[in-house]
Amino acid sequence: MKFLSPEYISMAAGFLVILIGIWGILANKNLIRMIIGFSLFDTGIHIVMVAISYLKDRTAPIIDETINTQEIAKQITDPVPQALVLTAIVIGLGVTALMLVYAMKLHKEKKSLDITKFNDLKW
Amino acid sequence: MVAPIYIIAAALGTAFTLGLLHKTGKTLPYVLMTLALGLMTFISLEWLLAFLIDGQKEEIIYTAGFKPPFSISLLMGKMEAVFISIVNTMAFLGSIYMARDLKNKGVNSMLIYLLLIMGLNVVIMTRDIFNLFVFLEVSSIATAGLLLIGGRKNAVSAGLKYLIATGTIAGFLLIGIIFFYYYAGSLSLDDIIASKESWISVGNIALLLVLLSVILELKPFPANGWALDVYQGANPGIGAIISASSATAMVYVLYKMMPLASEAWNYVIIGIGLLSFVASNIAGIKQTNAQRLLGYSSVGQIGLAVAIVGMHQWLGSGLMTILLAMLASHFLAKAGLFWLAGIVNKETTKEWGILRNKPVLLFLMGTFIFALLGFPPFPSFFGKWELIMSLSDLGQYGIVSLILIGSLFEAVYMLRWLGYAIKEDKEEAVNFSIHWEKFLPVGIVATALYAAGYFFGWKSGYSDWYKYMPLAFAAALFLLDFLPVYVKNSITLLGMGWYFFEMYTQYTGLKFVFFIIFIGGGLLIFLAGYYKKGKRVGFYPLAILMYAGLALMLEASNMLEFFFAWEIMTAGSYFLIIRGKKSMTHALNYALFSIGGAFLILAGFGITQAGKDGLSLELLYQVGSMSPYVFILLAIGFMTKTASMGLHIWLPGAHAEAETDVSPMVSAVLLKAGVYGLIITMISLGNQFIGGINIQVVLAWIGVLTALMGNMMAAFQEDAKRLLAYSSIGQLGYVLFGLALMSHLGWLTAISVAINHFLFKAMLFLAIGGVVLRTKTKYMYQMGGLIKKMPITFIVVLIGIITLSGVPPLSGFAGKWLFYNAILEKGWYLQGAVLFFAGVIAFLYCFRLIHTIFLGQLKDEHRKVKEAPFWLLLPQILVIVGIMVLSAFPNSILKPLGEVLYSYFPEGALSWNDQLANSIYGYWDGKMVLYVVVAIFASVFLWALIVTRKSQKVKQFNIVYAAERPFRPETTHFAYNFFAPFKKALGFLVYPGITNFWNRVGQSTMAGADALRKIYNGNGQAYVLHIVLFFIVVYFITAGGF
Repeated sequence: MKFLSPEYISMAAGFLVILIGIWGILANKNLIRMIIGFSLFDTGIHIVMVAISYLKDRTAPIIDETINTQEIAKQITDPVPQALVLTAIVIGLGVTALMLVYAMKLHKEKKSLDITKFNDLKW
Repeated sequence: MVAPIYIIAAALGTAFTLGLLHKTGKTLPYVLMTLALGLMTFISLEWLLAFLIDGQKEEIIYTAGFKPPFSISLLMGKMEAVFISIVNTMAFLGSIYMARDLKNKGVNSMLIYLLLIMGLNVVIMTRDIFNLFVFLEVSSIATAGLLLIGGRKNAVSAGLKYLIATGTIAGFLLIGIIFFYYYAGSLSLDDIIASKESWISVGNIALLLVLLSVILELKPFPANGWALDVYQGANPGIGAIISASSATAMVYVLYKMMPLASEAWNYVIIGIGLLSFVASNIAGIKQTNAQRLLGYSSVGQIGLAVAIVGMHQWLGSGLMTILLAMLASHFLAKAGLFWLAGIVNKETTKEWGILRNKPVLLFLMGTFIFALLGFPPFPSFFGKWELIMSLSDLGQYGIVSLILIGSLFEAVYMLRWLGYAIKEDKEEAVNFSIHWEKFLPVGIVATALYAAGYFFGWKSGYSDWYKYMPLAFAAALFLLDFLPVYVKNSITLLGMGWYFFEMYTQYTGLKFVFFIIFIGGGLLIFLAGYYKKGKRVGFYPLAILMYAGLALMLEASNMLEFFFAWEIMTAGSYFLIIRGKKSMTHALNYALFSIGGAFLILAGFGITQAGKDGLSLELLYQVGSMSPYVFILLAIGFMTKTASMGLHIWLPGAHAEAETDVSPMVSAVLLKAGVYGLIITMISLGNQFIGGINIQVVLAWIGVLTALMGNMMAAFQEDAKRLLAYSSIGQLGYVLFGLALMSHLGWLTAISVAINHFLFKAMLFLAIGGVVLRTKTKYMYQMGGLIKKMPITFIVVLIGIITLSGVPPLSGFAGKWLFYNAILEKGWYLQGAVLFFAGVIAFLYCFRLIHTIFLGQLKDEHRKVKEAPFWLLLPQILVIVGIMVLSAFPNSILKPLGEVLYSYFPEGALSWNDQLANSIYGYWDGKMVLYVVVAIFASVFLWALIVTRKSQKVKQFNIVYAAERPFRPETTHFAYNFFAPFKKALGFLVYPGITNFWNRVGQSTMAGADALRKIYNGNGQAYVLHIVLFFIVVYFITAGGF
């Protein structure tokens, strides 16, 4: 992976977003902000996944008339991580949705979204 | 055979169908869900049986018609079959248990429940790491969904913590997986393992992320606060599934991942696992919430499982047996306890006292707790045994001690909880109803525990039917518990009597002596059992459990059998002791000292068999360079049972609070088990030196001081039964000293003191028990003048104390006489002097028994007191006969005993001339002494009869004393604080230093536990931080992932 090549930049950006996401989770007491942090964390991971599958001078793994079916393996990028990303996005969506439901339920309980208020179970 | 893919198909198909059934009522969806789970269970069990019986070959399922890496493959191998069988069976039982909850919460909850179980199935079977991630997330989301539906207080906030914690872990897992793909070029676990050489040098960060994520799903300390909150907040049914199914599945995932890791990782994983095990169990001891307590225990047990997985290279082919044995106890017992928590429906452990209304539930709880603590006959007993033996073979004594320490802490809170359930006073007698569908699964897992215990016993070579016979007898009595006392007592006597006559020819030598004490003594004391009316719920199975342990101990030919028996005996005696009044704390102390002692014995056995073939007790003869350590471990272990000084604090309370006929069982009989253990240790290991110090000298001093301290404490007691209890400590001190002399005469003394102690302590405890029964008080100063009301008891006590104090003519004197001979022979004059002093003190407390209870003034409230019940008196009288025979014919026992000891200590034996014993210092004729004393007594008695012929009988308050007029009996009978002057002079010697020491140990452990658990501050964000830090710390420890 060359310095400042597209995959390098996107990988670095991906990790940066991951770190921002983790920071968001750890530094915000508001539940909604934490959930946004999780979304960023997920997105960062997705960027990293795509960056890993990038191969220079290749096209998307979609087989149509522009691609020579004989040399298919040399023309397209790796399709697996892209498939994985799709799955990961779906799962991430599910988790985010569930977290939002939780936030809603908890807000109903205590009229607050501050995570430090929900520490009745401890020790 | 049904293809495994149908497990997934059944779950998914039913889940989708359920989605359409929102309007058809609750029952149809519930039935469908249960059927689906039943089908899944059936398929997995079918495969399991095929693997076990038909030697089925493992099968790979390719999805989508391609082979990896182009498709996801699932593997159905033997281990997969085992684990999905566990997951599905528990889930099926769980669905029955939660019938009401699931129906209440509606179709969605059933749907999610199915998805959770399906996720776990795939997680176990999949060979694709991305697929693993997907289905882990499916399970996590489903779990969070189930938690959202509600449970205990604060279930929702617990669910949120769960969700953000597992979300974070999953994120790191995903990063790890994608880098694995990057470095290894495949997502198939098999491909990655096969190409390990190509990526191992660069892909270490991927490995670190994946491994740690899997481990974090297993809730390692300290990144497990979220899990504890979930256990506490969850609906107990869900808690059971998380603890039993989810955790078990994740253990297998870790196992599956281990081939990826380099060897250095094993140590990290062992470390993480052991840290979790020890730390959670320490933190658990402060816990008062029942479900959170189960959480701590769960986290601890799974930590141990992680450590065991980490030992895969050490344990080799034995790994799976050990792991499964530990897991079997864990998931069965933990699910059972969670389910019980749902039935009891009380938050704090103290409130579990209501269980007393339901003996069957109490029995189940006891089963689960003893299974978790690794008692026989449960699977974890054999698992722990194999684990400790294997680790000892490897010389990993540090790990052995960590495991044992962690287990001891677990025993603290588990047994305290059990104690609350059995004993804690409840304010109101709450009667609660049990729904059959909640009870059924609990009963099934308890039964499964016993079955699994037998299975793992068979694997460890403990399967002979006759070794289970005594236990079966106890079980039979449990089933017959509805019968009245006299029937059960007769059955017990018949059963034990049959065993006695069947076996007594089998034993010779010292074993025979102990056989007579254990089984003969047991029979004798059971005779007293007829004095009770009613049903005496639970007494007989437990008493037989203790005797079963004692009987098996004598039968034991190898260390496993011995340890099995030892633990059975401990369990039985614990339950006997806790039956007494106010004996909750005493029983807990007893159990903790016993378990601690048992662990020392276990460690000693571990060292003994290390590097040798087999487990025979004969191996103790050839320990080699480690023998001083083995000796110390075993000696301390056995001294917890003989209650030697320092380890005695459990005894007074336990013996004093016990029931009338239990006191002699745990005193006259049970203490001798420790003596038996010491004898085995000393015979096989002999004199041992450590740092130039003879350990026997140390033991002798402990014995001397125990005798002194025990006797002094006895002299200052007001409680008659406590007096007898302390006197036992003192007597056992003599025994320990005698054994430590390591000479013929020393051992002859020790064993004859042990026999005498058995006789007079059984008699005295029954006699005093009778007095307590009649006067309804244990305090001697509240008694007095009972000689006329209870004349037979008076004679018994008189004979008892004559024997005890070792004055002629009775058999106690033989002990004394031998003792001084032995001491002179050895030349330990200082010890001898202290013992002599202790013997004088024994007179003091003996005198009190007579003076305060039987002489003096009869108290007003005791004017209608009757003699003790016949059935209590009968065994006492039989003992008197025994004592008379032994006193008149001392050679009847001392001579054969001497012949036995001759083979161990040929020098310094007595020479016998009829009843005349000769030692190098003098001679003693027991028969002659008896005759002379009886003659003197008879002539004085006759003379007294003659001279008092004309004397006039005086009523109690007739003024014959002095110028004062005693209105109340108390004023003329000085009884309270009787030895006040002595106490003033010598009281500093009985300052409760040892009790205070152990109290401080207890307090500081509690304080430490409290400090430790403060890291779980309840803040979900902090829990995420723990997880992130966990990654970072391990990253640095492993220098970037090895």
